[in-house]
Amino acid sequence: MSAIDELITELSRLPTIGRKSAMRLTYHLLRQPAAQSRKLAEALVALVERVRPCDTCFNLTEAAQCAICVDARRDRQVICVVEEASDIASIERTGEYRGVYHVLGGRLAPLDGIGPSHLTIVPLVSRVMQAGAREVIVATNPTLEGDATALYLSEQLRASGATVSRLARGLPMGGDLEYADGGTIVQALAARRAI
Amino acid sequence: MPVSAPPARLRTFALQTFRNVTTAELTLPSEGIVVVGDNGQGKSNLVEAIGYLRLLRSGRGARDRDCIQHGAAAFHLSASLEGVTATRVTAAVDRQGRKKVTLDGREPERLTEALDALPSVTFSPRDVDLVAGGPQERRRYLDITLALTSPRYLQALRHYRAALSRRNAALREAARTGGSTTDLAAVAAWEPALAQHGATLITERQAWVRSRSAEFVARCAAIGETATTGLRYAGTFAEDASAESLLEALQRQRALDVRRGLTQTGPHRDDLALTLDGHDLRVVGSAGQQRTAAIVLRLLEAATHQGATGVMPLLLLDDPFAELDRGRTERILALLDGIGDGQHLVCVPRADEIPTRFTRLARWTVRAGAFAPAA
Repeated sequence: MSAIDELITELSRLPTIGRKSAMRLTYHLLRQPAAQSRKLAEALVALVERVRPCDTCFNLTEAAQCAICVDARRDRQVICVVEEASDIASIERTGEYRGVYHVLGGRLAPLDGIGPSHLTIVPLVSRVMQAGAREVIVATNPTLEGDATALYLSEQLRASGATVSRLARGLPMGGDLEYADGGTIVQALAARRAI
Repeated sequence: MPVSAPPARLRTFALQTFRNVTTAELTLPSEGIVVVGDNGQGKSNLVEAIGYLRLLRSGRGARDRDCIQHGAAAFHLSASLEGVTATRVTAAVDRQGRKKVTLDGREPERLTEALDALPSVTFSPRDVDLVAGGPQERRRYLDITLALTSPRYLQALRHYRAALSRRNAALREAARTGGSTTDLAAVAAWEPALAQHGATLITERQAWVRSRSAEFVARCAAIGETATTGLRYAGTFAEDASAESLLEALQRQRALDVRRGLTQTGPHRDDLALTLDGHDLRVVGSAGQQRTAAIVLRLLEAATHQGATGVMPLLLLDDPFAELDRGRTERILALLDGIGDGQHLVCVPRADEIPTRFTRLARWTVRAGAFAPAA
């Protein structure tokens, strides 16, 4: 296979990139200065060689521990559990959360063959025990599988003595009731609050 | 409930490469049409195609790709309607399994939004399976009847099925690895969802049976059934259909379920019990008695739709009175009239088999998949 074909094939494996886009990108990379394309190649190599999971929370990092885990201002008594490392960025953007994280690496999905042993649940339980954490916030997605994963975690953490909480669900901020789906409205009604 | 709302009416219906129909376009007057054609010419395929715009899949349980004509890449259906929300509905499925449905030219975000786009109820000789067949036939009947008339039921059904398939997968995994504590906990994680949505399904099914059982008995009698018929919901949780009771049963059954690799309790195992003088209609009923009960179930399906939405569905009569005596047929047709002046599509093999009250309807003929207005 030629170098061009090889790159097109590799690029078209990426999400949201079809064969046509892959071709366009490949020819763009050929047209631009070689130094620029080489920089991209080096960035890719650095990505796979340097990025690794944090020893403590499985967030992505280039050191043994991620920036959040080494930050002394963070409250280690509160652990927020997310499905993927990319979910951390969403919560961090709010600037409201001062605890630490734990990345599960997915959710319980028996139809895809993903059981508890495929997730970082055992390290989470021992971490909660060792740190004597007072709260574990389960921030898995509000789906059937996310909910079952949250329930499973709460069972596994029962002996730890930590409070296990789940993110609230309901109507989105700035959203329009007219466009909310029935399931969301049902949840929002059930979780309504006095004002 | 807007009882006086006009019924759903089909104005034009076009098919392309749907089973043996290469291309067809039918126009329908308000009262409906009669289609005359020998067996195997395409009457049932027309009924199946119209019914497709209700469930967005074959009402006969066929796979989508089996509805595509041999050698064709896809089938297309297109209907213009009155008395319903969207007045132009199309559906197309290709061999790759891609399904495209449009309502007034717009593709809905979710396919479920297009469910019941063309409300219809099909009466066919195959309906005898509803009574004589296994419990899954009657659960399917309940699920379709209720899911199309209750958004709450539809949602509970979707969640229940999703949780059930996942608990079953977790059970098989637990069976494979010997049922460790971790595996059992991974099974248990699906149980609250199953219990919650399962309780909704049972409660709504029971409420439906309570509200319709007297009608079932009365209509069977009106058709000529002299023995006393009965309609009852049969299931483990008939007495206490609370989420707590379901959850407790799932927990109790867990170890046994692991051994079988299947969830053995819940609404997916329940039944709609039909009786004749207190005995199982499946066992003691004659063929005619079973046919009568099946037709009454279809009548209830139409009445439930009209009661919940105000819209009388289109009635698709696919030669349903074959082998029934004329008196019984006339009494059934009188009952059909009694539930509303819906549009009818009546399929019969020969013109002399058209029931008297339909002889004035516009006639079409079908031969080898080709439809034409009768001369």
